[in-house]
Amino acid sequence: MTFIIETRNVSYSYGDGMEAMRGVSISLEEGRKIALVGPNGAGKSTLMLMFNGILRPTSGEVLFHGQSLRYDPASLRELRRKVGMVFQNSDDQIFAPTVYQDVAFGPVNLGFPEEKVKRYVGYALAYVGLCGYERRPPHHLSGGEKKRVAIAGILAMEPEVIVLDEPTSNLDPASSEEIMDMLDELKCGGKTIIISTHDVELAYRWADEVILMEGGRILKRGTGQEVFGDPGLINKARLKLPIVVDIYRELVSRGLLSDSNPPRNVLELTDLVESRNRGTISRGTTGKIHIADVDKVGPDEINSILEGAHISYAGAMGTNAKALAERAGIILDFTYGVIDKCILKSLSGKDSLIMTSGGMVDRSVKRIQTYCEESGAKIEVVKLSSLEGPDVNPDRR
Amino acid sequence: MHDLLDDYTHSNALINTSPRLKLLLGLGAMLICISSATPIAPLFIAITMSLITVGIAKIPGRFYCTLLLIPLSFALLSSGVVAFMHGGGSQLFAMNLFGFMFEIRDDGANLALLLIARTFGGMCSLFFISLTTPMMEIFSVLKSLGLPDFLVDLSMLMYRYIFVFIDQAHLIHNAQVMRLGDAGIKNTLNSHAMLSGVLFLRAWEQGERLIVAMDARCYDGKLVLMEQGAKAKPRAIFAVVGYLVVVEAIVFLTKDIQLL
Repeated sequence: MTFIIETRNVSYSYGDGMEAMRGVSISLEEGRKIALVGPNGAGKSTLMLMFNGILRPTSGEVLFHGQSLRYDPASLRELRRKVGMVFQNSDDQIFAPTVYQDVAFGPVNLGFPEEKVKRYVGYALAYVGLCGYERRPPHHLSGGEKKRVAIAGILAMEPEVIVLDEPTSNLDPASSEEIMDMLDELKCGGKTIIISTHDVELAYRWADEVILMEGGRILKRGTGQEVFGDPGLINKARLKLPIVVDIYRELVSRGLLSDSNPPRNVLELTDLVESRNRGTISRGTTGKIHIADVDKVGPDEINSILEGAHISYAGAMGTNAKALAERAGIILDFTYGVIDKCILKSLSGKDSLIMTSGGMVDRSVKRIQTYCEESGAKIEVVKLSSLEGPDVNPDRR
Repeated sequence: MHDLLDDYTHSNALINTSPRLKLLLGLGAMLICISSATPIAPLFIAITMSLITVGIAKIPGRFYCTLLLIPLSFALLSSGVVAFMHGGGSQLFAMNLFGFMFEIRDDGANLALLLIARTFGGMCSLFFISLTTPMMEIFSVLKSLGLPDFLVDLSMLMYRYIFVFIDQAHLIHNAQVMRLGDAGIKNTLNSHAMLSGVLFLRAWEQGERLIVAMDARCYDGKLVLMEQGAKAKPRAIFAVVGYLVVVEAIVFLTKDIQLL
């Protein structure tokens, strides 16, 4: 197992003697989605600022790839290239007067030649779905767009780890889900994502690993279910239970469900209730889920599929797919939490279409397969990946 | 929330023409305005520049007029004073106020007229530049003209944060008005002083955060500039040069004409 970032007994006090961090030791694995959760003043931001050497611990040490951090300018530059940080307030981060200049800032200061800078900026802007925004000034952007620019500025430096301080604060629900979807996509690309948040719903649903902090200490770490399975601890940290867990606990206490691991999301909760009611889930016919890889299937084909098959719902994951849907004039029912929504619709007998691209295609198929294995439901997945026409994924028939 | 010149600049119809050409047109017209000995050429420039700004660059006429009212009111006030101050020539107007004679003579009136015309023409040219050329393009032209990097970089950062601070000032002002900070002159002055003080502190803090943000992204003394804007089309160059020649000709042909 590789730890990408470790802290060993790290403490930190600010100039006025306030202790923000008291002996924190954590080790973070590579390629995971990690959420630091805790109330205001728990020390989340302080800890994050240590990951790329902006703050230096008063005692203890921080390690990157097993190497203790060194704080000379050259080492810090190298570290900051690999550990990118997205600040909570986008206006702090976006200081250049145009989008292009801001995204190009990192690559230019790394001394890349002009052609490479252009390529990287183009790639980063395409990734966050802001092609054509190059000449815009930041004060003409919405909050969600600013956040995307901030992320693009970090992506252009090709970091291994992306640290985001409260990425969804001040964003409307759809924008924040889109940002979180994008972080999912990045994780699929092999990056380690660390966020801090006090949005428990978000942390519970999204993170592979939750680290609960309070008063400069770590209270508990583990999966969302482990951390949020302890209401006393959550209370102590001035947080509240995710609504799914809350409903589940109430159902258990009324004897409607048996006590085991809390469900991770609405899908699992509905399944628990249904299997308790009917003994099994989804006796009726389930709907098909079509998955279209937008890199391989064009907008016309998708439109003809939508007209031909009886598809009631369409969803898109990732910026490419969303851009294509917009070009093709497809009205999307789901732009976030797409796979779960489609499974839910399938279980109520409706067909749906997921548009996505790259590694997300296989991930979607796998997610549905895992769900089918765990729940015993049978959902037909139709993968539309070739230009010749729909080919039916054999192992799901 | 605010009605900023900058917003119109970014949505004008001439945004994709060469910034150098726009600067040449604006600055050229401005210089001719100042050098003209009679009000005819400046008035011609004022009218044509306004037509270009409203007609070709598609800046809303109503907004443009309110914008012009600001310098125009200054020009009218100061030229009024000038008209009374300068003697010489025949008397055009006189009045007796508390035993003092106030009179306008030929020379004074002509000078006042010239002053108004020059201000008007100059402002129209300046508004043409500021309403059609985004600051960033002006910065890149300045850089290519050899202005030191640090000056350009510094102005770019200042330009960026103007908007952050306008927002903040607006928010603080709202917070003050909400709690009756504008009730009476004394309160208004007091609120204004507080606003300035707080804004100064915020600017300072923002500066510290800026350094952290730049360091976090490997700052090494370099800020990029967008590549130069669009290349000028031959037809556009021809039109601009032609216009400037015509205006210069008007200056030359009308140099002996006296309006009054």
